[in-house]
Amino acid sequence: MSLLNVSDLHASVVTDDGPQPILKGLTLEVKPGEVHAIMGPNGSGKSTLANVLSGRPGYIVDSGTATLNGQGLLELEPFERAQLGLFLAFQYPVEIPGVSNMEFLKASIDSLARARGEEQPNTATFMKQVRELAGSLDLDPAFLKRGVNEGFSGGEKKRNEIMQLLLLQPKLALLDETDSGLDIDALKVVAEGVNRYRSAENGVVLITHYQRLLDYIVPDFVHVLSNGKIIESGDKSLALELEAKGYAWLT
Amino acid sequence: MADLTLPTTLATPDWLADLPDAGSLPEVLEQALNSPAHRERWKYTKPGPFVAATQHPMIDPDIGGESQNGVALNQSIDAPLAGFDLDQAPEAIARLCYADHVMTLDVSASTDEPIVINHAGNTRPMLIRVAAGVSLTLLESADASDDAQQSIWIDLAPNARVEHSRNALNDAPSHWQYLNVHLQAGAHYQLNNHVAGCGSRRQDIHIIMDGQGAEATLVSAGKVDGKMALDQQVTLEHRQPRGQSKQTIHNIVANGGKCTFNGRIHIHEGAAGTDAQLSNKNLGMGEHATINTKPELEIYTDDVSCSHGATVGTISQDALFYLTSRGIDRTAAEALLSQGFLRQCIDGPLADQALTALVGRAREES
Ligand SMILES: Nc1ncnc2c1ncn2[C@@H]1O[C@H](COP(=O)(O)OP(=O)(O)OP(=O)(O)O)[C@@H](O)[C@H]1O
Ligand SMILES: [Mg+2]
Repeated sequence: MSLLNVSDLHASVVTDDGPQPILKGLTLEVKPGEVHAIMGPNGSGKSTLANVLSGRPGYIVDSGTATLNGQGLLELEPFERAQLGLFLAFQYPVEIPGVSNMEFLKASIDSLARARGEEQPNTATFMKQVRELAGSLDLDPAFLKRGVNEGFSGGEKKRNEIMQLLLLQPKLALLDETDSGLDIDALKVVAEGVNRYRSAENGVVLITHYQRLLDYIVPDFVHVLSNGKIIESGDKSLALELEAKGYAWLT
Repeated sequence: MADLTLPTTLATPDWLADLPDAGSLPEVLEQALNSPAHRERWKYTKPGPFVAATQHPMIDPDIGGESQNGVALNQSIDAPLAGFDLDQAPEAIARLCYADHVMTLDVSASTDEPIVINHAGNTRPMLIRVAAGVSLTLLESADASDDAQQSIWIDLAPNARVEHSRNALNDAPSHWQYLNVHLQAGAHYQLNNHVAGCGSRRQDIHIIMDGQGAEATLVSAGKVDGKMALDQQVTLEHRQPRGQSKQTIHNIVANGGKCTFNGRIHIHEGAAGTDAQLSNKNLGMGEHATINTKPELEIYTDDVSCSHGATVGTISQDALFYLTSRGIDRTAAEALLSQGFLRQCIDGPLADQALTALVGRAREES
């Protein structure tokens, strides 16, 4: 059975000039244990796909379906999708001054535990776990007291996203350009974090522009998204080919 | 407009009767109360009841920490304070006239313990004089449940430092606080102000940078929920060179609340090298919140750096999506965001009480 199943998805972004169709019949299936990389030119709809799946306001689903473990996603509120096990690592994580990272993470883990009918973790154990995770991603635990992403560098924000991924342990992770803006060392740290998350039960959709990331996180499939559709799929060698030839030969 | 019938015999010390340049005090007050500037300051709150209440009976504020070395508490004034300003605050001067006595606190040595002032009702005016080089922590709170007023003048001699925390979280039909701070050269003043709406709450703050290199910081968090009102009028004057002032005011206005913020920065001729910043952010939540915010800048010197910003907004959709995408439901996410907005301006020794009252939870340990 598939973990994520997106079928013939058409979606538009709401603009001042009315809705603009972006996704034009996108189909994607992710089975447990798989990592799918999605590449494609700027503006082809990669972030739109991640946003529509996670329920960001400002998009309209025109037709098609998306399910996670067989449950329809598209009618749900964003928090309900997260409670089902969907996770989006943002291309541009938001800064929220005044709400500390620790408080945010606790609110999040408590909500997810409640939704699953599990017990909420004890605060001391939880804080210890978070500090260890932060350390393992080369994030200074002092960051945890600051506002969510407040004053974080681009790379620190991306590592914070991966820390949340490891803490929340979703079923499916959508990673939107988690590698961009990272220096080589940070890239390795982030890739190592994603690999730690990978398991036979969960799945990863990795949006990236760079073949380089795929040296560290080896994908099972590589797809090319262009003009709102997947126009080519293959294995890791497709990424190498794209690196050498660009996208023009496909379109 | 404001009908202030002054009593024929004012319990006014001679020095106060001598203040006006011309005419009798009642005439001068009358004039000030009817000036266009005064009308502007009382545009969003009816002044009548506040002005009339200046003659209500007064009680002494409760004062703690006054028996420390270097602290003297008296009931008279021997000379006018530099901050007395008839034109800017005729009502506050009127309260001085109606009071049978005032509270004068002279601080001539740095104290180990804070001076604590509590206003259990309509309290007598206070004058606080802090001597040169002296550091003082001032903790002020109001717990009046009836109509109440306070008027406080603070004079900081050269290089004095005052850290002033003030909580006005009480529920009263009406509450007016007048605060005047006068800073001489090199003096530092910081105010952490935490305020909830009440039937009609008014805070006037007048800070005068009257010596070179003085520094003032004002940080204020306010929440006006339901049928409550808050009107804050802040005037910050830079009269001398190289002063620095920074004001950060965050107010949440929810469910029919009404909030007015007027922040005036006045940089006088000759106040070169002044750095004045003011940021007022207002967050509207729920239905029918009324928010008035007006920045006013008067600058009569080149060579100043001045920023003055006021925003009125609602909860950021991007921030809300970020939190909800982590499984936090919408109501809880909105609560976190509004708490975060206020928490940025809640600080200092009275923060815990303010967090409980305004944010509904104590500070996170982490
Ligand atoms: N809020 C918006 N208003 C108007 N147009 C939008 C909006 N959001 C996205 N678009 C448009 O939708 C298209 C797809 O954008 P999307 O962000 O999904 O691209 P992407 O593939 O992620 O690109 P990149 O590689 O640059 O991140 C672009 O043409 C973009 O301009
Ligand atoms: Mg994108």
